[in-house]
Amino acid sequence: MQVYLPIAEMSVDAFLLVGIGFGVGWLSGLFGVGGGFLLTPALLLLGIPAPVAVASGANQVLGASTSGMIAQSRRGNVDWVMGAVLVAGGLVGSVIGIQLFAFLRGAGLVDAVVSIFYVVVLGSVGSLMMMESLRAIMRRRAEAPARLHQHFWMHGLPFKIRFRKSRLFISVIPPLLVGAGIGLLSAIMGVGGGFMLVPAMIYLLGIPTAVVIGTSLFQVVCVTSAVTIMSAWQLGSVDIVLTLLLLGGGVAGAQFGAQMGGRLRGEETRALLGLLVLSVAAMLFWGLIDTPERVFNMGPG
Amino acid sequence: MPEAEARRNRVFLVVVDDSAERAVALKYACLRAKKSGGRVALLRVLEPAGQTEWAGVGALLAQERREQAEQLLSGLAAQVNEITGGVPLLIIREGDPREELLKLLAEEKTISILVLAAAPGNGGPGPLIAALTGRYATRMRVPMTIVPAGLSAEELDRVT
Repeated sequence: MQVYLPIAEMSVDAFLLVGIGFGVGWLSGLFGVGGGFLLTPALLLLGIPAPVAVASGANQVLGASTSGMIAQSRRGNVDWVMGAVLVAGGLVGSVIGIQLFAFLRGAGLVDAVVSIFYVVVLGSVGSLMMMESLRAIMRRRAEAPARLHQHFWMHGLPFKIRFRKSRLFISVIPPLLVGAGIGLLSAIMGVGGGFMLVPAMIYLLGIPTAVVIGTSLFQVVCVTSAVTIMSAWQLGSVDIVLTLLLLGGGVAGAQFGAQMGGRLRGEETRALLGLLVLSVAAMLFWGLIDTPERVFNMGPG
Repeated sequence: MPEAEARRNRVFLVVVDDSAERAVALKYACLRAKKSGGRVALLRVLEPAGQTEWAGVGALLAQERREQAEQLLSGLAAQVNEITGGVPLLIIREGDPREELLKLLAEEKTISILVLAAAPGNGGPGPLIAALTGRYATRMRVPMTIVPAGLSAEELDRVT
C-alpha cells in the first residue's frame, strides 16, 4: 500500500514504514537505547531525504525516552540542576547543528555529511563497545573502571555551582560543553546521544551512576524535542504521515522488545549491540564509497 | 531445644526499603528483640543494574548501589546495636523486592517473623503488605507482624 509522504515528497509502502518502526522499536526496547541511530540510517537507505530522516530519528528517540524519564523522575533519580545545565548546553549545540544543517542543505552536501558523521561516530562507538564486551566475556565479568578522583584542569574553571543531588561542586562549563556536543550530534544525526552522554557524565563530570540515567534521559527528551521543533520550523522537515506510521509500529515494537530484553541480559546482548552499531556504520560507509547509480545529483534551487 | 535458647535464636526480619515507615518497623523489631529475646535481621533488596550501553557503566552502577546499601545498613546496624545490644544480620540481595523476600524466607529457616510497617494515609499499606496479605499470602512461610505507621515511641514501648 503506497502512501505519499507530503514533506519527503515521495511515495513509500505504508506497511514497510510500520515495519521499520516496529523493528527499531523492538531493538531499542531490547537493548534499552533510544533507537535514533537505527531509524535515521534505515530511512536514508529507503531514499528519504536526510533532513526528514534526521528529524524523524530525533522524534523517535523523544518517544522512546519520555516514558523512561518519567519513571526515573518519580523515583527521584533526576538531578534537575545538572539537567538544566546540560539542556542549556544542548539547546545551544542543537541550534548550531540546525544552522549547520541548513547551510549544508543549501550547499547540497547534507547527505554526505550526515553519512560521514554516522561512520565516524558509530564506527568508534561500535568498536569500543565490541572491545569492551569481548574483554568482559573473556573475563566473565566486567570490572568497573576507576573514576577520575584526582583533581585535574577541569576543576580550576570558574562559575562553580553546587549540584546537590549529584554531590558535586564544579564549574558549569564542562557540563555545558558536554551538553552542547550531544546537542550538535542530535541535530545532525537524529540521535539522542545517550551512548556518549552517559559515559561523559560519569567519567568526565563525576556524576553518581544512580542519577546519571534519569538526568541523561531528561537532557535527551528536552534536546530531541527542541531538534524536532526546530527542524519543523526552520527546515520544514517533519513529515507527519511518516512520523505517525513509524510511531504506530514503534510503540508496539518497544513493548515487545522490552519484554524480551528482561530475559536476555548481560554481555552477549551488549556484544550484539556493538555488532549492530558497527554494521550500521559499515553500511553507511559502503554507501559513501560505492559508485552511485546517478553520478550527478541535482541540488535544490 | 530449651525455650530460652530458642528465644535467643529467633530472628525478626525487617525489610529496609526507602519508605519513611521502615523506621517504625525497625524500632518495633528492636524493642521486641530486646524485651523478649531474639535477633534482628535487615534485608535490603537492590534494583538490578539493567541493560546499559556500556559494560563499565553497568558494573560501576552495580558497585555504587552496593556501596550505598552497605553504608545504609551499617548505619541502621548501629541503631539496632544501640537498642538491643546485639549485632543484626545484614542481608543484601538483588532483584525484585517481593520475590527476593519470599525466596529468603524459604531459604533461611532461622527467620521466625517478618516485621513490616503500614504506610500512613489513604494510599493503602504499601506494595509489600498488599502483596503478602493478598495474592502472595500462600507463599509466606513465617508469621508476619504489621506495625501501624502512626505509633509514637511510648506506644511502641507499650505494645512490645
